Amino acid sequence: MGFFTRTKEHVPCTVEISHKFESLHAHVRFNNGAVIYPGDEVHVEGPEIMAPFGEIVSEDRNAIIVRASGLERLWTRATGDLEVMELCEFSFSEEVTL
Amino acid sequence: MNMHSADATTAEEAIAIQETLDSDMATEVAMQDTLLTPRFYTTDFEELDAIDVSGIRDEWDQLIDRMVSDPNKGHFKKNQDWDTVDWDGMEPKLKKEFIDFLISSCTAEFSGCVLYKEMKRRGSNKDITQLFQLMARDEARHAGFINDALREAGVAVNLGFLTQKKKYTYFRPKFIYYATYLSEKIGYARYITIFRHLEENPQYRFHPIFKWFEEWCNDEFAHGEAFALLMKTDPKLTKGINVWWIKFFLTAVYSTMYIRDHQRPAFHQALGVDPDWYAHEVFTKTSKLTQQIFPITLDIDNPRWAAGLDRLRRANVDLAIAKKEGRKLAQFGASVRAGLAFVGLYTIPSKKHKVPSVTRMEPAY
Repeated sequence: MGFFTRTKEHVPCTVEISHKFESLHAHVRFNNGAVIYPGDEVHVEGPEIMAPFGEIVSEDRNAIIVRASGLERLWTRATGDLEVMELCEFSFSEEVTL
Repeated sequence: MNMHSADATTAEEAIAIQETLDSDMATEVAMQDTLLTPRFYTTDFEELDAIDVSGIRDEWDQLIDRMVSDPNKGHFKKNQDWDTVDWDGMEPKLKKEFIDFLISSCTAEFSGCVLYKEMKRRGSNKDITQLFQLMARDEARHAGFINDALREAGVAVNLGFLTQKKKYTYFRPKFIYYATYLSEKIGYARYITIFRHLEENPQYRFHPIFKWFEEWCNDEFAHGEAFALLMKTDPKLTKGINVWWIKFFLTAVYSTMYIRDHQRPAFHQALGVDPDWYAHEVFTKTSKLTQQIFPITLDIDNPRWAAGLDRLRRANVDLAIAKKEGRKLAQFGASVRAGLAFVGLYTIPSKKHKVPSVTRMEPAY
């Protein structure tokens, strides 16, 4: 990782999507243990994965991790907190009118 | 009544129900597609992993044992109480607002699940990873339940977001504690207030999902307890400068809720709920609950509070109109008014009190 430069990594990953009544969830796991740091971008290659209702779909894919530069990482750590209100769950969207 | 594979008592029955469902699916091509867009975060996972719960072991174990025993397992499925919903006969404005409620709730549960799962995966401290695993379980379950209600309304949730490019932002652990703790506790207060109101006034219950609010919000309550205990492990989190952060989060969460609720008049009218009364009820309950760990509460009975909220709401409405019409100067004016209204709310002197030595509580409303 450079201070001003970004690097790209190709990482094998497993995508699991559960579209079941008992559990609606979706996760990406990096199979080589790669870790995401602030400001990194992740893009799972290939077409959209859709799980029909009632099913869990698990697919092995490749992901591209664009590593943030050192500067971006610092910036994200310094400013990310400004968006922290997103964590608050509200029952309505922020749209003023529908 | 719609059968569900979760209702089945045998595997054969489950398969049969599922097959009927799948054939129903084929006719659902006309369903409206909604892409869930949760956000992705990182935090200081080392700091999280270093949490030591040994000082509060008794309270911690009680909470975890309860969550492991999973009292709400099997609750989140439809049974004979799930009345048929007349979606076509629903007043269009109410339908819009109610679907917005369901989608936003589903996204919120889903985002919670993503965040908790990530915390679970990145940690190695058994206490912490177990907690986050349990909370991720509950959130995924709630999301599945809301998803089912949405499907009945002809809204299909699309989970294709994972293949889109996404950027990970960063939150400090303490901000995650304050924000998530409050959001779980205010979530409990919101749901239980509606549940009790509809118990007394069942004629306003326009959708069966409200019958499930009691157990649902008990999960939220338990999650809030967990965050209260996490904060208790480090007394610095509720002292000194951090008290100002706590006040900030209380003010921001309360006022955001107030603004958003007032933007959904048809929903509240259908429930027979006055948004001002509802806000005051929810703030009162949340303030009472958060005394378990926060050394201050907001003075919501101060006349400046109600007046400030209303100013903030009006500035927000004007800001949205100015944005829509592309009037930059009016946008700037409305933003300044909103900022000043928020500062006005933030500077109302807060109420101080002593935090009890025992933190754990039971849902009592």
